[in-house]
Amino acid sequence: MDGFLIILWLVRIAFLVLIYGFLFAVVRVLLRDLRAASRGPAELGRLVVLASPRGEPQPGASYPLDAVTHLGRDVNNGIVLDDPFASAEHAVLTYRGRNWYIEDLDSTNGTYVNGVPVEGLGPLGFGDEVQVGEIRFRLDRGHG
Amino acid sequence: MSAVAQARPLAGFRLHPRPRTTELALLALVAVTLAVGGASLGATQQLREATRTGVELSALDFTPPDAQGLLVYLGALITVHLAFVLAGRRTDQVLFPVAAMLGGIGLLLMQRLPQELVTQSFGSAELGLGQLQLAWLLVALTVITVLALFVRSDAWLRTYKYTWAAVGIGLLLLVFVLGSEVNGARLSLSVGPISGQPSELLKVILVVFLAGYLSENRALLADESTRIGPLSLPPLPYLAPMVAMWAIALGIVVVQRDLGAALLFFAVFLGLLYIATGRPSYVIGGLVLFVAGAFVLYNLFGHVQARVDNWLDPWADPQGAGFQVVQALYAFGRGGILGVGLGAGLPLIGGRLPVPAVHSDYPLAALGEELGLVGLLAILGLYLVLVTRGLRIAAAGHDEFRSLLAAGLALVIGVQAFIIAAGNLKLIPLTGITLPFISYGGSSLLANALVVGLLLALSDRGSEPPPAPRDPRRPFRRFRLGRARA
Repeated sequence: MDGFLIILWLVRIAFLVLIYGFLFAVVRVLLRDLRAASRGPAELGRLVVLASPRGEPQPGASYPLDAVTHLGRDVNNGIVLDDPFASAEHAVLTYRGRNWYIEDLDSTNGTYVNGVPVEGLGPLGFGDEVQVGEIRFRLDRGHG
Repeated sequence: MSAVAQARPLAGFRLHPRPRTTELALLALVAVTLAVGGASLGATQQLREATRTGVELSALDFTPPDAQGLLVYLGALITVHLAFVLAGRRTDQVLFPVAAMLGGIGLLLMQRLPQELVTQSFGSAELGLGQLQLAWLLVALTVITVLALFVRSDAWLRTYKYTWAAVGIGLLLLVFVLGSEVNGARLSLSVGPISGQPSELLKVILVVFLAGYLSENRALLADESTRIGPLSLPPLPYLAPMVAMWAIALGIVVVQRDLGAALLFFAVFLGLLYIATGRPSYVIGGLVLFVAGAFVLYNLFGHVQARVDNWLDPWADPQGAGFQVVQALYAFGRGGILGVGLGAGLPLIGGRLPVPAVHSDYPLAALGEELGLVGLLAILGLYLVLVTRGLRIAAAGHDEFRSLLAAGLALVIGVQAFIIAAGNLKLIPLTGITLPFISYGGSSLLANALVVGLLLALSDRGSEPPPAPRDPRRPFRRFRLGRARA
């Protein structure tokens, strides 16, 4: 058997194998993408209650956040704050792009991030502490 | 003119380079595969030549027959990839390599077939089949790039859907009046040296129209309100314009005797209707209509009858009407599991190719002979990947129009590949339609480039995250703060 013919046969088979290699590489990408999609949209973030003297919200509770979450004493808020120093519509958390922002809705007693009062709209990083009246929260990364 | 204005010639068009590693890796695989395929093809062709003339085997090498053309194609792929990277849109990274792979396999096949099958001279230069296919591939890549980079809004498709429909019908009428007749079918329109098949373009226009119409009237169509005896029909006034559009397109296509396109339109129409409304009754009704229509066509038209009879028993006239079908089946048989190797198949019978339309209607027969069952399955798998990816883009669409458009475009490629593959394999009667990305032909390549380019544009997941929210109530807060501190 001539060497040239053997190499030619190998090249022929290699071509077929390479087409399949390409196909499998593509399918792997597709499967990875489908798995990522099936896990559902990842949580944007969580608000963990650090201190809440009156028990509403429960200390230690953690709330998965929507892209827009309102805080305040009124029962229509996403997170209801039972605190004499909280306004009915106190503050709002918004997620835009890849960042969280907190906005004080002209509350009477103000909103504090890491002890600093929020002037209108301010960025909020993961791990920052938010204080409204005597209630303290921490913003955590979402699960998943 | 000031220096600032000169420094920014394209206001509003900024580059945001964003690496596309998946696409690059897949394209690298495409390049290696095509290079190996070219080497295999070149060596086989030299071997055939050597056995005929009696040259020593040691004098042979593995140079592809048209290495230059292959390099130009690969270079064009990298250029397109770089353009995508520079533009930085977050579009799909799988579609383009898959289409590039299919196009590359088609290019190899066209370089392998006898070059005098299709020739065209531009001035003094005479281009053969492989070079013409390369030229059309380059044009198709340009179309893909332009669509994928610059189509951001879909309003120009959505708003003017009736205009698009009218343009499509107009094109077909134009062909009917001015077109030239080939093989008993009036399909192509010639303008100077360039001729095209508008029905290829019409399939894209049809999907745009159906997606626009269905996204607007989906809720109404899914609602059952008209009842005729035991049948519950959707409100007829909302169904009428769409059916009219479909009937006009189908009627013209039937009159032009382009059965493949008619089948494609019908299948895509039913598929989109089902996707939009989720009602199986539409599909059942459509299939009943199809059977009735096929029966009528069979009895009315001689050429339909000939096609079907030829499909049922090609061996009735193996040297005449059934020649091509029979030879294609023999070719699949010769290929076996692993194939005879690129360049080693298709022996000339009496000085002519066994399958005369091998470059347009029967590329799958040539690939089946030379790459075997294994290679054929891989190629069908590539089409399956394209369809899956298109449906995935549809599922992630922002709104109904984009979803339906993506689903329809995916269906077009899938159904067309199925119709011609099944026709080649004698599963259904053969209808003259091209194999997407592989068949020779400018119209086919351009129409499928439109499909891939639109799918890429639709798959954009938003180039940049939206800016930080503005504080609407205190626009001058910073300014005031600064004054207070000062």
